[in-house]
Amino acid sequence: MSEIVSLDSRRAETGLRLGLLPLTDSAPAIVAHEFGWFAEEGVETELHMEPSWANIADKLAYGLLDAAIILPPLAFAVELGLRGIRQPLLVPCSVSHGGNTVTLSRDLAQKVRHLAQDRTSAQALADCLAGRDEPLPLGIVHAYSSHNLLLRYWLATAGLEAGRDVRLMVVPPARAVEALKSGQIAGFCAGAPWGEVAAREGAGDMVASSDDIWRDAPEKAFAVRARWAEENPEGVKGAVRALARAGRFCDAPENASYTGALLARQRYLDVDSHAVLSSLPGGAIASRNQSRFWRHAATFPWKSHALWFLSQMARWDLVGSTDHAALAERVYRPDIYRAALAPLGVDVPRVDSKVEGAHAAPWQLDAVPHAIPMGPDRFCDGQLFEPGRP
Amino acid sequence: MTLSILLIDSDQIRAKALEEKLSESGFVQVTHAQGGDLARAVEQSRPDLIIVDMALPDRDALEDIRSVSTASPVVMFAGTDDPEFAREAIAAGVCSYNLSGVAYAHIKPIMASAVALFQRYRHVETELAAARALLEERRLIERAKAILMRDRKMTEPEAYRWLQKKAMNEARRLAQIVAEFVAEHEDPRRESKS
Repeated sequence: MSEIVSLDSRRAETGLRLGLLPLTDSAPAIVAHEFGWFAEEGVETELHMEPSWANIADKLAYGLLDAAIILPPLAFAVELGLRGIRQPLLVPCSVSHGGNTVTLSRDLAQKVRHLAQDRTSAQALADCLAGRDEPLPLGIVHAYSSHNLLLRYWLATAGLEAGRDVRLMVVPPARAVEALKSGQIAGFCAGAPWGEVAAREGAGDMVASSDDIWRDAPEKAFAVRARWAEENPEGVKGAVRALARAGRFCDAPENASYTGALLARQRYLDVDSHAVLSSLPGGAIASRNQSRFWRHAATFPWKSHALWFLSQMARWDLVGSTDHAALAERVYRPDIYRAALAPLGVDVPRVDSKVEGAHAAPWQLDAVPHAIPMGPDRFCDGQLFEPGRP
Repeated sequence: MTLSILLIDSDQIRAKALEEKLSESGFVQVTHAQGGDLARAVEQSRPDLIIVDMALPDRDALEDIRSVSTASPVVMFAGTDDPEFAREAIAAGVCSYNLSGVAYAHIKPIMASAVALFQRYRHVETELAAARALLEERRLIERAKAILMRDRKMTEPEAYRWLQKKAMNEARRLAQIVAEFVAEHEDPRRESKS
């Protein structure tokens, strides 16, 4: 396939202040910035490494950032003004699939693994917790995070409930390992590379990955202020092209060591490059927890993903009674994705929404001009999520 | 009425300065926390207002503050009715959480002090960094000129023009050119021997 780069080299330069957190998922944005791919699309990016999700949300809300690599539930929280003032956002492309781990302290993880030989690891955890007086303190990266939703989903399959059996506390990803070591939490659900960092430091072990909860689960998205997108329609498409091109680069196993070294720099993640490497496609053999940045249509902003996040936010009382379909329609914008990439001959899905959780084996997604090979997408409880059905 | 404030700032000097400034009014009681288990710090000191340094990742833990202050409303940026001020506060790197629903009028002067202080500190930091970069650039230019004068027997103006020309031809900044040039030509082992 040809390079994902627009042929029109004469375009006005547009400034884009892009917020990121120190996570493996930030790889495509960092690569696109460092390689000058945003600039080639006429978008002058300024990367802002932020220490917390709260900063990303506040800076987007008050217009101090134009865009961010964000947790989809947090994008909805900002869009709806659930945690401060409201700022309309658009999601013209997704950034990554998978990459999260449920990591428990070493002792607890060992017990869970031992019990999990004849049952699921969630059930094994439930058995470990039986008879405990106090709820087990577990860290999540933010209330409006995919981690909160995935972890609750996984716990619920074993009848475990937040508040009763576990106490969920917000611990920023870069602080999770420290909190686990100090005993403040007994485990956490966070994105790469922090599960791997915990394992390397002997603080904890992974008992489940996002793939174990929902195979190929959508993770980070690229969200841009609707106002910025309105003022810079070419800029948004250019940014999508640069991110897609970088996503394909980061997804190629042969580029893993390069991407790992780039991300490990002090200015970005500031961790051991081997920890980052293990979460990159091709970076480690037999790693159970790798992010996907391109394959399986990982950059396509599925409406069905938006609706799944909203349905789970509603399940745990994180969003009021809003019209989910209208909200997903307004925020997730596959039309922009198509307008940006279809003219370059990139394979783009024919539909905006699909049934989630229907495939136990690899399958082919109907796309133009060519079908896209997809991976299994089952939920751990075997449920189907059919958008539009309660 | 005394307002109790929990101040969370990794910069101890700035925290101290802000505490002094706020205590002048005599209506506030300031407690410090430095990070770690912030939810617990909030539970213990039960502040009316939290002022936090946005450079701390722990700020995410405060998002969860609803779980510790059940009855009282949590207002981020007490002044949501003054978005320009909130914007200024965020830009300066300070964020506030109003826990007990104290009237905005009472909080605004406190926040204004915090914002002014953060802005001043940031200004000083940026100036310091710029001054350092400039000094380093001057040092490298002098060093590169000395190498050219020694190795290629150029005069000082010739050496400077040579560097300028190189920067022009390669369309790069002089600072980059001299940094590379010095790194290439300055082998510390050779120098120590000669």
